[in-house]
Amino acid sequence: MALGSICGLQTMTKLNSSLRENCNLLNSQDSAFVNEAIYGSENFVTPRDIDILSNQKNLTDKDSNVKIHFDHGTTTLAFKFKHGVIVAVDSRATAGPYIASQTVKKVIEINPYLLGTMAGGAADCSFWERHLAKECRLHELRNKERISVAAASKLLANTVYNYKGMGLSMGTMIVGWDKKGPGLYYVDSDGERMKNNMFSVGSGSTYAYGVLDSGYKWNLSVEEAYDLGKRAIYHATHRDAYSGGVVNLYHMKESGWIKVSQTDVKELHYQYQEEKSRRR
Amino acid sequence: MAMKGKDCVAIAADRRFGVQAQTVSMDFDKIFEMGPHLYIGLPGLATDVQTVSQRLNFRLKMYELRENRKIKPKTFMSMVSNLLYERRFGPYFVEPVIAGLDPKTFQPFIASMDLIGCPMITDDFVVSGTCSEQMYGMCESLWEPNLEPEDLFETISQALMNAFDRDAVSGWGAVVYIIEKDKVTKRLLKTRMD
Repeated sequence: MALGSICGLQTMTKLNSSLRENCNLLNSQDSAFVNEAIYGSENFVTPRDIDILSNQKNLTDKDSNVKIHFDHGTTTLAFKFKHGVIVAVDSRATAGPYIASQTVKKVIEINPYLLGTMAGGAADCSFWERHLAKECRLHELRNKERISVAAASKLLANTVYNYKGMGLSMGTMIVGWDKKGPGLYYVDSDGERMKNNMFSVGSGSTYAYGVLDSGYKWNLSVEEAYDLGKRAIYHATHRDAYSGGVVNLYHMKESGWIKVSQTDVKELHYQYQEEKSRRR
Repeated sequence: MAMKGKDCVAIAADRRFGVQAQTVSMDFDKIFEMGPHLYIGLPGLATDVQTVSQRLNFRLKMYELRENRKIKPKTFMSMVSNLLYERRFGPYFVEPVIAGLDPKTFQPFIASMDLIGCPMITDDFVVSGTCSEQMYGMCESLWEPNLEPEDLFETISQALMNAFDRDAVSGWGAVVYIIEKDKVTKRLLKTRMD
């Protein structure tokens, strides 16, 4: 990097040697460990002499005997409206038919003005979105201004594209507010990156879309938007076996995001049932 | 699942009917009354649930006409076992659970079966379904012998609800029958609907 050389940023090898001196390491093997400790998270440990792409086929192919089973199944949604972006997610993690947890946090707080949602493999989403947080911070430091939502989502999309075909499973929405106003992008592990006003991701997304589409308009009031988000997730959890738990609701405003509420889906069910009987 | 209590039995089931991830209906009853004090629960493939219950009803009526008396629970269990084993090489995909009181002595009786009719009679509880592991865990910890009908209701409800809250494809409502000498109480439980 040009800026790096101007500022006298030491390259990796230089840092290595100074650290080696400080730690009194004489053995070249030890320096490999130090290397691993500092920069370890950047390098994925893989078996030597094995082509990853062909190996991964065994682990991800449906009919394979050694298929790695990830926690899947969820409903997440986000939509833009006059007063910002609403993000609503469920909180269930399943491993096959077993419910592993009903209290998973599927909205990842990247920084005070960027949110990412989690759908697909839980580990993949949380790791790469934390990686994205690091990249966004670096961007801020290098360019002295906040990263735009378009750029952040592009960073993520490009990162996962490098691992395309290796079995990453991630369907995430990047939500933020930048100079262009509210931003909402859908990024997934196939390298797809799309911009739109409304998205729903996960096994229960079809049910959520139905409710969202019937109640959505740009000029919703803040309270109406909160209600729509909660209702859409509730209906998805009601019909989809792999979604459930609580509804976590976030609102992205110009000043950053706020966590609006966390409501148990069971309470919503009986509340809506009462409303229905009152209307009749 | 079914549980034995003091001079009473309880049988309970969820009410979901689904196609893999999608829940189609929340009022699909899987417990059928086969006599004034005899109930059978049939979890499994929905079409076989209906067929087996209808065929069983037919055989039971024929039995009652010929013998001119109400069937004993143990004999009923053998009848179910026979019906299932007839299809040994193309089985019905149901794993029934039977609960009842003897028509003369009112002794409580519970039993379960695998899909080809192997009977298993126990003195405490029987479970069957997609979350059987979770149900075994709950029953082992909550059941104790000689529970009164009200306590048995609490126990079986808690065991069932907490077990299927850990299973993605079970739940969406529950029904509990408490079978005593002089009455049968049917209660619907208020459960999580997700």
